[in-house]
Amino acid sequence: MGKELLFAVFRNKIPERTPWVPFAGVHAGKLKGYLTQEILTDGDKLLESLLEVNRVYSPDGQPVMFDLQLEAEILGCDLIWDKKAPPSVVSHPLAKTRNIELSIPGPDDGRLPIILDVMRNLKERVGNTTALFGLICGPLTLASHLRGTEFFLDLMKDQSFVANLVEFCREVNKNIATYYIEAGMDVIAVVDPVVSLISPKHFEQFLSEAYTEIFAHIRKTDRFSSFFVCGDATKNIELMCRTKPDSIFVDENIDMVQAKMITDAYQITIGGNLPLTTVMLLGTQMDNMKSAVDLMDKMGRQRYVLAPGCDMPYDVPEENVIGIIQAVRDFEHTKAMLQNYTRENFDIPVDLPDYGNLFRPLVEIFTLDSATCPACGYMKKAVDEAQEHFGKKIDTVEYKLTLPENIARAKKMNIQHVPVILINGDIKYSSYLPSRNDLFKEIEGHI
Amino acid sequence: MEHFEQLAASIEKGDSANTKALVKHAIGENIPAQDILNNALIVGMNRIGIKFRNNEVFIPEVLVAARAMKAGLELLRPLLGEGSIDMKGKVAIGTVKGDLHDIGKNIVGVMLEGAGYEVVDLGTDVSKEAFLEAAQNTKAKIIGLSALLTTTMPYMNEIIDTLKEADLRDKIKVIIGGAPVTQTFADEIGADGYAPDAASAVDLVESLA
Ligand code: B12
Repeated sequence: MGKELLFAVFRNKIPERTPWVPFAGVHAGKLKGYLTQEILTDGDKLLESLLEVNRVYSPDGQPVMFDLQLEAEILGCDLIWDKKAPPSVVSHPLAKTRNIELSIPGPDDGRLPIILDVMRNLKERVGNTTALFGLICGPLTLASHLRGTEFFLDLMKDQSFVANLVEFCREVNKNIATYYIEAGMDVIAVVDPVVSLISPKHFEQFLSEAYTEIFAHIRKTDRFSSFFVCGDATKNIELMCRTKPDSIFVDENIDMVQAKMITDAYQITIGGNLPLTTVMLLGTQMDNMKSAVDLMDKMGRQRYVLAPGCDMPYDVPEENVIGIIQAVRDFEHTKAMLQNYTRENFDIPVDLPDYGNLFRPLVEIFTLDSATCPACGYMKKAVDEAQEHFGKKIDTVEYKLTLPENIARAKKMNIQHVPVILINGDIKYSSYLPSRNDLFKEIEGHI
Repeated sequence: MEHFEQLAASIEKGDSANTKALVKHAIGENIPAQDILNNALIVGMNRIGIKFRNNEVFIPEVLVAARAMKAGLELLRPLLGEGSIDMKGKVAIGTVKGDLHDIGKNIVGVMLEGAGYEVVDLGTDVSKEAFLEAAQNTKAKIIGLSALLTTTMPYMNEIIDTLKEADLRDKIKVIIGGAPVTQTFADEIGADGYAPDAASAVDLVESLA
């Protein structure tokens, strides 16, 4: 279902709702309590984290690994690791030489066996419903990994070297794309943040052909392609379109409406550009719903995919993503809910229970709408199971924020994020699904 | 005059060899080094800075121009003598700990050099201790902090605290920059200034120095 929505958009059809692709790279690890290096080097942990992303964020498409240093590492760049960010390249094999004596990575090199294995597994587990994205490091970024900052001077001063290096990187890209396609990827995304730093003239001179060839290579295998930039690439969007990818995903500093006019002219899908830091990392759940609703409102359903601007920061709170999913799943109600929420005079009278003097424990759950928000659904199910288990010994009630009076109640109780489970008026689990055991024990303690 | 224009244009084009030749020629004609710097090198670099701010040129163009300017400056430096170039003061600049992005910082550094400041480049991944040491030992009156990651931005605050603890805060001006940094953030952590790009960074330093 989900993946068909995305494919429909790529095929220029109008889907029944906007598809959504959360770029949970390093952030996937957070859902399972793993640090970056653990998920980027250990296939089991990566798979576990990606399955969790799939379960909690019910994506229509999802990337398998977001590490633009993977190819560079194989080609001889040293990496340093960070706890919560992708690794960084710290040395460049071509820093002091213009002899490109490097060989194209094979499927058994570096961390490729791990990632290919995870791709095959993930394909088997969720590939029927979710489009899987294989991400490769684009030629310009890869070239600058291999050569270092000197590469920018080469662009001006040694054009034949640049052409040779880009050609090598293009071949690396095509080979990696083939491995990923054979491992079951539906979409190959070429990610090239450095593209935002060069002029259209240089793009045309050094990248147009390489990209056209890479996307043609992907098209031949009947898979979809994406061009991700990450950064302000406004001036290069038109040229990017001419290389004929199926889709272009752009970062937050790009004016989406203007960009869409360009991509529309080429019948190319555009994706993006939820702000990573100001909204996803630091905003509230409501900010996130609003950002998603506003984007979907102004972009329309044709040739548009909702996504973050780039790799999501590790510490993005789950409830913020849950808010976005709600907006995707139930656009109209979320829009209405937001209007209610921001209304100035918001005094629907609500009576709160007398929490200190209850006959039996009261388990309350606030949801966006358990019918459409998967995380809310899981938490609601846990509460239902508790009701079944304890029978008449407890009371349970769900408040969906789709109703204004429930928003008033949430405000009165100072609830900032949902889904949330409260016992006798105290917040117990916020955007976090307790195990059956934990929840039952907690309730037991109140009987 | 004509020399100056040619020289400025040569810097704009990023032609190091031609820049060196023109500087040598100007020196040969007994044009004072300070004039060559002010009326040609700085002019060329400024133009690039403004074009960069207006999205007319991009990183590669700025970096070659910076290299050409450095090549010219190298020839002038012995003639400028300590006194005159120090007049505008020293700025120590570095990318904060945990952060390796240095393209932006380097451009700011070169533009400041172009504007006549002496720049001490502390490099990338610079600890608060190293910034403190620079504040104590380099005679820099202004310290520039660069960060490109939201995860390394908060470290700027720690650096300011370190300077406070060492009782140096009121003797040193701290300016900050980098793509995710904003004026609001600068105000929050009590920095003395923020600039969104290299050309504005020069204006900022001028206003503080
Ligand atoms: C080039 C680049 C790299 C290169 C850096 C090479 C180098 N030697 O610098 C490499 C490949 C190594 C790299 C690595 C990483 N990067 Co990087 N990188 C970029 C990229 C493409 C461009 C940054 C840049 O140089 N911009 C151009 C310069 C000129 O702009 P600037 O730095 O902002 O500087 C200007 C102003 O800010 C100001 N200024 C700057 N400093 C100062 C200081 C003072 C005092 C003042 C007054 C002004 C000032 O003046 C400058 C000139 O006008 C950006 C994305 C983008 N397109 O913007 C991502 C980006 C910054 N990287 C990012 C990330 C996540 C990383 C990595 C963690 C992993 C990765 N590769 O994805 C590592 C981290 C490495 C580390 N520990 O630092 C993210 C940061 C997200 C965030 N906001 O936290 C970005 C935004 C990409 C993205 N959307 O995901 N990266």
